[in-house]
Amino acid sequence: MGLLAEMLQHFRDFLARLGALTRFFGQVLLQVPSALLRPRLVVEQVYNTGALSLVIIMTCGLFVGMVLGLQGHDLLQRFGSEDALGVGAALSLLKELGPVVTALLFAGRAGTALASELGLMRATDQLSAMEIMAVDPMRRVVVPRFLGGVIAMPLLTAIFIAVALFGVQLVGVQFLGVDQGSFWSQMRGAVELADVNEGLIKGVTFGIACSLIAVFEGYNAEPTAEGVGRATTRTVVISAVVTLVLDYILTALML
Amino acid sequence: MKQTPEPAAGAVPTVDAQNVAALHAVDFSIDGKAIFRGLDIAIRRGAVTAIMGPSGTGKTTLLRLITGQLRADAGRVVVDGRDMATLSRRELYAARRRMGMLFQNGALLTDLDVFENVAFPLREHARLPERLVRNIVLSKLHAVGLRGAARLRPQQLSGGMGRRVALARAIVMDPQLLLYDEPFAGLDPISMGVVLRLIKSLNDALGISSVVVTHDVREISQIADTSYILSGGQVVASGTPADLRDHPSPVVHQFMDGLADGPVTFHYPAPDYPAQLLDRAEDA
Repeated sequence: MGLLAEMLQHFRDFLARLGALTRFFGQVLLQVPSALLRPRLVVEQVYNTGALSLVIIMTCGLFVGMVLGLQGHDLLQRFGSEDALGVGAALSLLKELGPVVTALLFAGRAGTALASELGLMRATDQLSAMEIMAVDPMRRVVVPRFLGGVIAMPLLTAIFIAVALFGVQLVGVQFLGVDQGSFWSQMRGAVELADVNEGLIKGVTFGIACSLIAVFEGYNAEPTAEGVGRATTRTVVISAVVTLVLDYILTALML
Repeated sequence: MKQTPEPAAGAVPTVDAQNVAALHAVDFSIDGKAIFRGLDIAIRRGAVTAIMGPSGTGKTTLLRLITGQLRADAGRVVVDGRDMATLSRRELYAARRRMGMLFQNGALLTDLDVFENVAFPLREHARLPERLVRNIVLSKLHAVGLRGAARLRPQQLSGGMGRRVALARAIVMDPQLLLYDEPFAGLDPISMGVVLRLIKSLNDALGISSVVVTHDVREISQIADTSYILSGGQVVASGTPADLRDHPSPVVHQFMDGLADGPVTFHYPAPDYPAQLLDRAEDA
């Protein structure tokens, strides 16, 4: 009985949190037009969340591509179709690995930075100070960061995919001897615009989800060191779970 | 001298030419715990008003009621003739543009340097030529003695310097009402003296009204025109610093003289100490 009551309480808390997140999303959307009137603030955040994540995105993209090259070559070799390495790698990167791994890395690098920054601003009264100065922190701080993340994510996804494809080519063509012409021509022949769009839609959706979770958790963090830490942890965990759930839903819808 | 646990009828503070803000019979509680019960306070125009009292008496909460960040459960908080509870968000922000607040920790924006922190309200609210912004910011920084620190980051400032930068930011929009939350907390004697003189000189030079929440009795007594002492959610005494020193209330006497023994106890309410030590049931 105690366990059931506890589960019910957790479920109620979850619903309350979901309701608060939805309401917060509505407030953010309402402020988007006025935030777009000050593009400099948004561009700054694209730099903070996007440009500063480039190194980790490119490094991980290269190694993901190289592993994909090794594993893909090993698998395709069993069927005598190593030449299809380019197609297989491009499709898996465009449709799945690119958007998902980028979102997970984004949550770990930019999401945590956003959540802890906003949490610390809350804990050190910077958000209160803005309110006293008649400056809406949602408009001035939260929405530009949200938009920065939403814009940066598809760009990071594209860069991740490009670097990963270079990694696949490096291992498959340069190290393992797959024919370069077949590698690229089969890829060009088989990859369609719809596949690119699928990756783009996922990138934008994950960008909205991960950025929203990060700014929501940071903005509503308890104003203590422990509270900021908890908000940062929750950002990574929730973003990862939501990314994978959304990935399944989007894949099912777009297949 | 005025003892005001229960203000007499007709003595309720009002907002008029004399008062810039007033709290009328304000009740406020947090999580069911009463912070204020029937609080009456008047902030005189052009004066330095000190709000004092033991820790946890809701002094900072009082400032948040005045700024409209919190709403009273009952009673009225009136600033510049307007009931803060009735204002729309837009009106509330308009009212706040005529206020400045100095937070206990300064609350400087850590991603901006000193100059941009002070310029922040100007850039948000006024479309001024850059040259004019620069001159206004430099004049405010000069007033607090930190013109030379304009390009430092908040992380490079000492506690006292941070407080002065926050003060420059608070006055950059030329407010009518300046609120100070524990402006002397954690400052060395030199910085404390500097901030003390600044509060008084800015108040007099700019013709603003100041509310200083503090428990540094000796320091604030040098500059306050009127002081209120809060305890138990009410004003237990008010008047000039000299009035308070001679006040008959044991709470006021304990607070003004910094005595350990008195109505305000050292120990938080707890069960009997020996009984608690011998109680094995609590260990289980």
